[in-house]
Amino acid sequence: MRKFLMVVQWAVASACVLTMVTLPISLETQLVAGMLVLFGMMVLKLIRPDGIWRLVALAFGTAIVMRYVYWRTTSTLPPFNQLENFIPGFLLYLAELYSVMMLALSLFVVALPLAPRPSRANSNDRLPTVDVFIPTYNEDADLLANTMAAAKGMDYPADRVNVWLLDDGGTVQKRNADKIGDANNAQRRYEQLQKLSADLGVKYLTRDRNEHAKAGNLNNGLAQSTGELIAVFDADHAPARDFLKETVGYFDEDPRLFLVQTPHFFLNPDPVERNLRTFENMPSENEMFYGIIQRGLDKWNAAFFCGSAAVLRRAALVETKGFSGVSITEDCETAIELHARGWHSVYVDKPLIAGLQPATFASFIGQRSRWAQGMMQILRFRFPPFKRGLSIPQRLCYMSSTLFWLFPFPRTIFLVAPLFYLFFDLQIFTASGGEFMAYTLTYMIVNLMMQNYLYGAFRWPWVSELYEYVQTVHLLPAVISVILNPRKPTFKVTAKDESITTSRLSEIGRPFFVIFGVLLVGVAMTVYKVYAEPFKADVTLVVGGWNLINLIMAGCALGVVSERGERSATRRVKVSRRCDFELNGRSLQGTIENVSANGARVLVFGADLDELSKDAEAGIRFKLFADGSEAVLPVTIRNFERTTDSIAIGCLYMPTEAVHHRLVADLIFANSKQWEQFQLSRRGNPGLLRGTFWFLRLAIFQTSRGLLYFWRDLRGASAPLPAGQLAEKRT
Amino acid sequence: MRIGFAPFALLLLAASPAGAQSNSFDMSTEKPATPAPAAPAPGAPAPVAPVPAAPTPAAATPTLAPNPAPVQQQASPAANEPIAAPEAAAQARRYIVPFSDLVFSGEYAQRSWSVFLTPEQAASKTEFHLGYQNAVVVAPEASRLKVSINGSSVVDAPIASSDNPSDMVVDVPANVLHAGLNDIVMSAVQRHRTDCTIESTYELWTQIETGSTFLSFDDADAGRWKRIEDVRAVGVDENGSTTFNLIVPSMGQTISTSPTVRLGEGLALMANMPNQSFNVSESGSPSNKPGTATIVLGPASELSNVLATVPAGAEAGPIATLVDDPKFGPSTLVVSGPNWQAINMAIDDIAKQVDRPATSLRATLATRTWRTPDVPMLLTASNLKFSELGVSTLEFAGRRVRTDFAVGVPSDFYAEAYGQATILLDAAYTQDVLPGSHIDVYVNDNIAATVPITTFGGEILRHLPIKVTMRHFKPGANTVAIEAVLMTQADATCAPGATAQSGQRFVVFDSSEFVMPSFARIARTPNLAAISGTGFPYSRAEYAIPLIMDRTQPEIISAAVTFMARISVAAGRLIPVDSSTAAAAVGNRNAVFVSAISQVPSAVLAQVGISNQTSSAWGETVASIQPNTEATFDQWREKLRGGGWRGQVSSLQDWMNRTFNLSTNSFRIFPGRAPDFTPQGTARLVIAQEASPISGGTWTLVTAPTVGALRDGVRALTDQTMWRKMGGRITTVDAGENKVSTLPVARFDFFETQPFSLANYRLIVANWLSANALSYAVILILLSIVLGFATAGLLGSLGRKK
Repeated sequence: MRKFLMVVQWAVASACVLTMVTLPISLETQLVAGMLVLFGMMVLKLIRPDGIWRLVALAFGTAIVMRYVYWRTTSTLPPFNQLENFIPGFLLYLAELYSVMMLALSLFVVALPLAPRPSRANSNDRLPTVDVFIPTYNEDADLLANTMAAAKGMDYPADRVNVWLLDDGGTVQKRNADKIGDANNAQRRYEQLQKLSADLGVKYLTRDRNEHAKAGNLNNGLAQSTGELIAVFDADHAPARDFLKETVGYFDEDPRLFLVQTPHFFLNPDPVERNLRTFENMPSENEMFYGIIQRGLDKWNAAFFCGSAAVLRRAALVETKGFSGVSITEDCETAIELHARGWHSVYVDKPLIAGLQPATFASFIGQRSRWAQGMMQILRFRFPPFKRGLSIPQRLCYMSSTLFWLFPFPRTIFLVAPLFYLFFDLQIFTASGGEFMAYTLTYMIVNLMMQNYLYGAFRWPWVSELYEYVQTVHLLPAVISVILNPRKPTFKVTAKDESITTSRLSEIGRPFFVIFGVLLVGVAMTVYKVYAEPFKADVTLVVGGWNLINLIMAGCALGVVSERGERSATRRVKVSRRCDFELNGRSLQGTIENVSANGARVLVFGADLDELSKDAEAGIRFKLFADGSEAVLPVTIRNFERTTDSIAIGCLYMPTEAVHHRLVADLIFANSKQWEQFQLSRRGNPGLLRGTFWFLRLAIFQTSRGLLYFWRDLRGASAPLPAGQLAEKRT
Repeated sequence: MRIGFAPFALLLLAASPAGAQSNSFDMSTEKPATPAPAAPAPGAPAPVAPVPAAPTPAAATPTLAPNPAPVQQQASPAANEPIAAPEAAAQARRYIVPFSDLVFSGEYAQRSWSVFLTPEQAASKTEFHLGYQNAVVVAPEASRLKVSINGSSVVDAPIASSDNPSDMVVDVPANVLHAGLNDIVMSAVQRHRTDCTIESTYELWTQIETGSTFLSFDDADAGRWKRIEDVRAVGVDENGSTTFNLIVPSMGQTISTSPTVRLGEGLALMANMPNQSFNVSESGSPSNKPGTATIVLGPASELSNVLATVPAGAEAGPIATLVDDPKFGPSTLVVSGPNWQAINMAIDDIAKQVDRPATSLRATLATRTWRTPDVPMLLTASNLKFSELGVSTLEFAGRRVRTDFAVGVPSDFYAEAYGQATILLDAAYTQDVLPGSHIDVYVNDNIAATVPITTFGGEILRHLPIKVTMRHFKPGANTVAIEAVLMTQADATCAPGATAQSGQRFVVFDSSEFVMPSFARIARTPNLAAISGTGFPYSRAEYAIPLIMDRTQPEIISAAVTFMARISVAAGRLIPVDSSTAAAAVGNRNAVFVSAISQVPSAVLAQVGISNQTSSAWGETVASIQPNTEATFDQWREKLRGGGWRGQVSSLQDWMNRTFNLSTNSFRIFPGRAPDFTPQGTARLVIAQEASPISGGTWTLVTAPTVGALRDGVRALTDQTMWRKMGGRITTVDAGENKVSTLPVARFDFFETQPFSLANYRLIVANWLSANALSYAVILILLSIVLGFATAGLLGSLGRKK
């Protein structure tokens, strides 16, 4: 009853606002109202940016956005009888409507994200039996060893957890491949992983044929195991010790729960972060998704499975005969299916795994293409808005998640639209300078402010636009192809362990320079037009300004596709851990300063420089988080240097036994607290104005860097590395 | 669209005035053209006139009687006339220009109207006389003046009369004229002798000499009226005015006042000329000239004092007839009967020919006697083709062309703050026309839209939508003008003879449309513009309107009849009046007060918001015209404007003002009562309107310092162009230059005129909020806060909570 009253109350309030918004008021009134509402939002932002006043501020913004839509619809479309204007004009209008619709959906999703749940690590939950699946296809044994060791190191009674390595790279089909080289490789991999698994106490499982890719692989694991719960980790996602303790308890609380999802935390930057050097101080791209959106989805019982770092209930999966494999994003698809059958999901906002993400721009695009295509397939085959069994909020949530991937279309239109006017004199947006100011400008500022309100600490201004732009160029063809051929795309494993040793242009970076060039000509055209055709200078300036923003974005993207060379192959994680450095039989006090998947840097006290030499063998003795026992990890010294009161030694792990992998995993993955701290250190809302200036500076610098790389590339100063095997196709 | 414009907001702000400047709306250059011809030598004979011209009006008026045929006394004074007299005396003259002056300016101009002719006039052999003078810079070889009557061309001559006014006389072919309304179209195409600039087109003018532009009928009978309807042929005098001399012997009696007003209204509606005035007197004086009608009104018993012979039958029953009177001349209308009751019946007979019920909707406003076609009345959303509005396809070879049409809106039109009409323009321009040219739309001579031409190479515009703000729309007829300003390379170089080139550059097709959206309709009080437009609210009264005045003064009765007749013409129907009500007994009825300021009850003064001291002080200060400090300050500020960054700031301010029309009024939330008004020394007449004390009625006060000023003021105000300027809550007419100024409405009451409908109310609210911008913003913010809280409540009860 109370719920009904609340809905009625809200509907009445909305109807009132809608009535006000759709009044055909004059331009002056719009200007005054727009300015006042904008002012109100700013004031609220300064004094009460949270709680109920956050919703009030969002309502302010919504009113302005709706006024813009009303005006845009009723008075700016070019006349129908001028088709050359009307068609592009209408496309632009549709693109804007799409943006507004996505804004509305995200408003719904993240209107009131659930607060992070309290830790359950120390609660006395029942500990059901768990099967841990680590599906792999082509990852290195070393990488797998770390993951398996970390999985084995999880704090959970050993008799209740089974870790399974699900190897699709060593299937019978692969081992009997027609190409003898491939077959030999598969056979070697099969044997090597079998041994490694056995050493680490992990069950190795492979199958006959590589059917249904990852979903098929997981289903094979399901068929062979019996645990009550299933935890899934990608090959490069190593869990923290408390992963199971933090998650399994929810399943007893809610018997209809099928999923507990946790965020993906990455140890290395994505190519955008790496090339723009923002990894250390700006929140990562996926933090907006895991930090806000999943929490928002959780509010509506719509948090979905992201393929890894999650625990699922076997009973639920049995109902759907395992993981669905119609689309190439089997994770989200499985979640829709189970949500539609009335199962529930929970999202735990605490990084409990650490993983790797693609390092090169090309593999980044490959990964995003898979997501975009998979979501398009879901849209096509499971159409969430009409999926029976889903609640209305769930339908809206899944719409938001899937429709998001249509962004390449509006992005392209926004990129091209100003050029229609600048180059071809088409009037695709009929408005005067004054109307632009009163409606469009207010709308845009409000839009940016609303984004800042929603995602402020997780997404800085203009960064969403940059990410969307850099993906658009290559995603547009991918999305179009999947729309035309929804069954064609196949699962491609994203390569995450590449490294870039020399600075070079990305092999798929050329189009960005072409676009930049065209936009630059557009700017020149703007200047020319302002002087040559002063009678329409106001419109030219407005459109030229729009083009300039596109140019700034395109310039920043030049930096993104200019890959920086890096010395260390994998990302280092800061740790601070006491240890003993064993060298030539002596034991020296030291601190492990940072670690990566391959090596560590240790500050050693009381050593002499002449004792050290490159490639000397040594050992690091430290106490394990897992059980408090001490062990020695063998290393070789790669480099060393004197600091003020100690010697910093860079060393490479030399794991020879399975137990050594446990030590490495313990060093890197045991403590999830440090990941949280790292994330928190990057969070912080610079605000719209400061964020914009920051972005502008970044863009200018990156443009020059991109052009420099381009110039070097043209001169052939550094021949680009062979493209390499970035993504291997599965059959 | 998530891209933003924030970074270049400053850029936009700084540059836009520059952009707007290119669309120059500055009309100031247009003005000097009109006064220029005002001083042609009055008596100079026209060398080009092929026949002995009619004497100049100044000389003719006092004595010359154009219709003297049957009047014996006229014979002897006629002998004193100049040589032309005998011939002129045989003719009946009909001035045809219903305007006080008629100037064709610019490269192309056209006016059209209709003239009512009696069957006798139509049948007569007729000459058309045309007198005009033009600016020196008009090139005769490329400029032509054309006149057509009922579609057949009567005059098509080069414009070549820059030195002196020239008179032309042409025979009107037989069968061109017909009884009833005859359409006259005058147009001028003018080209500059040397200059090709847009500015130079403002120097082009041709002034029609209204006093020497007339039809002259050979048939002596043409000067006489035979039927009551022939009153419609009263026409105008040489100044474009129409005068009714109403002779009411028993003027002082209460019983005579209402019939007098009613007869005046009936005659005004019947003649329906643009500038009509009434002279009411007890005995009258012979004043018989074109554009004048003499009417004698009274019971038969009293007529003998003023008429030589009382028409037969007046003693027996109601009678309305035309008589020839030795004193008042031929065609004197006598309305009489044995008593006032019978007279009222006689008046009703006249009235019912022109009256309409209050509830009937008008499809058009009857404007044909000064503007053809009749102006369509737009009561709701409508689409009108230019051809229906009297605009024909116009091809044009010059630089600046203007064509206009008129549309009427009802008195409860309430869309000036938000409304936008649309013109769907069908037009084309050739490749000669350069970008930077523009098409402007003016509403009642205020710029309302501008469409820049931005492409090279010519273009055909098909139903190009032009949004026209309705800010300048007023109840009644509104003129919408479309002006194309065309620039070409040829004009930029301006080779000799270039001005006269005839290659067409621009065309407006009559398939263009004017689209009126549905608009808010609710009446307001006070709103003098509603009186001016359609006589509202008096036009809708179903009871006799109390008309309170001092009946003893002929000037006041003249003013009242003139005023009420003017309202009737605006309303298109007779407005019943009750002149016997006392001021105190009006209550909440609509009422009109016509009095000298000293006679106005102070309660009425207070009600309509005129300061009480006015009654003693006004009029004495007439002579002292004090300099207006504010105006002087503005002049100085204007003078010191421009240059430097301050100039930029103020031009930005100008742009903001022009674009957004922001004023401090937009920021009121609760409009207060305006301070009482004290007329300035130069004001000759004040019209003030306010709701009655107990709301429900509308009171209008017409007052002046003296009775003479009142009569002259009302006469000046009822002139067509002046009348349309009336508006606001107070309108004053200045003695000096016949200037009308208005005081805007500060606070008003709504009066529902339409049956309740949500759509109408939505638009009413939209208009009110558009005029009160801050209110809109505040309501929107409050509602948003409510929505925010409602959302919070909703989110609190839906979905997961922890």
